[in-house]
Amino acid sequence: MKKPAVPVIMHDFEKQEKEVSLNLGMPGLRIQYFRGPIWGKTNEQIRKQVMEGNNPITGRPVVQELVEKLTKPLTAEEKKTGELQRNVGPKTYTATPDELQRLFLEKRYTDFLPVILPTEEKVAEMLKFTSHDPDEVLGRMNPGSGAGETWTYTVKDAAVNAVMAGAEPEYVPIILALGSTGITAVNVSDNGFMAGAVINGHIRDEIGLNYEEGAVGPYAQANTTIGRAWSLLSINGGNCGKVGTTYMGTIGNPMNLIGIIIAENEEKSPFKPLSVRRGFKEGENVVTLFTGWGILSAKNWAADVWGPNMNYPEIIKEIYGTQDGWLFGTCTVLSPPIADFVRDAGYDTVEKFTEWVTGQQPGTKPSFRGGNLNSGIRRAGGTFTVIVTGGSNNNYFSMGGMVPSQSVQIDQWR
Amino acid sequence: MKLRIAVITILCIGLVCSGSMLSNQANAQGNKPVVMPEITVFNPMGTPPPITLVPQAPRLDTLDGKTIYLINTGYIGTDRFMDELAKWFNANYPKTNIVIKDNRSGAGLSSLSEALWTEIAEKGDASIVGLGH
Repeated sequence: MKKPAVPVIMHDFEKQEKEVSLNLGMPGLRIQYFRGPIWGKTNEQIRKQVMEGNNPITGRPVVQELVEKLTKPLTAEEKKTGELQRNVGPKTYTATPDELQRLFLEKRYTDFLPVILPTEEKVAEMLKFTSHDPDEVLGRMNPGSGAGETWTYTVKDAAVNAVMAGAEPEYVPIILALGSTGITAVNVSDNGFMAGAVINGHIRDEIGLNYEEGAVGPYAQANTTIGRAWSLLSINGGNCGKVGTTYMGTIGNPMNLIGIIIAENEEKSPFKPLSVRRGFKEGENVVTLFTGWGILSAKNWAADVWGPNMNYPEIIKEIYGTQDGWLFGTCTVLSPPIADFVRDAGYDTVEKFTEWVTGQQPGTKPSFRGGNLNSGIRRAGGTFTVIVTGGSNNNYFSMGGMVPSQSVQIDQWR
Repeated sequence: MKLRIAVITILCIGLVCSGSMLSNQANAQGNKPVVMPEITVFNPMGTPPPITLVPQAPRLDTLDGKTIYLINTGYIGTDRFMDELAKWFNANYPKTNIVIKDNRSGAGLSSLSEALWTEIAEKGDASIVGLGH
């Protein structure tokens, strides 16, 4: 529209904003920085601490700079047009293994753990497990939350990152299915989002996914390396996970390393698998992606209810009522014994249980009181998702904020 | 007797020296740098999109007589910030017309309507957009 506009942004985001404005073709975009955060401050605090304060980067008054950014004539640099060349380095690197490990670390190709170096032979092994062309564009990814630019990656790129993660070649169809969605495993949000996936179907046993004791823990090769491959693909294929630009979690989220890859314990669950509840056939190999804050033992929430007589459905309902359902709803990951308790309490389907827990018909779009951050009042719980996995060695379950997004047929990536 | 002691001493010295020499040879062999073979690996990066440079809009020569839109993208507390900013402009630039536009959805810059940008293009001279928290 050719009218000057000045964004006003917290100075902590400077590095990120420089990259974003470069990506948008305005490397010298005039941005006014201030010391935040604003959230929770009174008008008086905002006036004194922010507006009458200095830009922490330049040390000059915020409002004075703001006026200058609207009125100071543009420099030659700010008027530039044309194309900027991008360079992500050579297609291959040749060096000793130690030198390459160091190089990958320095170039931030890794998650700071050692990787399996992606030689041509190892990548070729991976590619044997898909019929797709290595050069086929697999997906387009950005760091999520509407931030950052969107990168493109191929089937081969995904195979390269799968090698690096330590994945076995037979995991490739799942890794490609995850990559095909373009959903990042490493979200930029300052809120610290994680990503997860639930896998259903016979592929669980084919590749040795763990859905017994320790199911959501990190000690099963398939679960762990599939999650790591998705994260590495997000880092390298989608340019995610770079602290200061595409990874801005105020606290961060340790689950970003390998996500949570859950194989449902379909054999011991009294309920239909998640994939079937989402419209796929029984036995079909399906991966369902999740985003959220993650899950935590339910014992963490419900004080004073753990004793000889347990009412698990009631505890789940109570915890649901404590959750902020606005972004991610509520997800409960039940061990088979807990799922049996739920069934024995009269809820023989997830739909019946969901209706009772949420007070809404299954499939109802969650409604929120207020519905925006400024109102401060939102409906608890939100979308309710049930997953069954893990062992039967005790009555434990986890809950948290995680919402399912896409479900992808895995076999189309064989 | 003296001769025997001298011979034994010489032999001992010889043994120590030869042992030391052997040890040095071994050390020399042990310290020899192991040459690791080079291998070739793929760069794991995807492909970034091209960047087309966009010139910034010309600046205003003065704020007097101009209309400036303060756009609240909806993040918590931005309404208070914009209210205070409007007060500051009214006090310091009384000839500038300030218009506040609130987006209360909390959904950020991308949720601002096309109609708003059209309105700014038609009626405004500049805008201040925030907050990036």
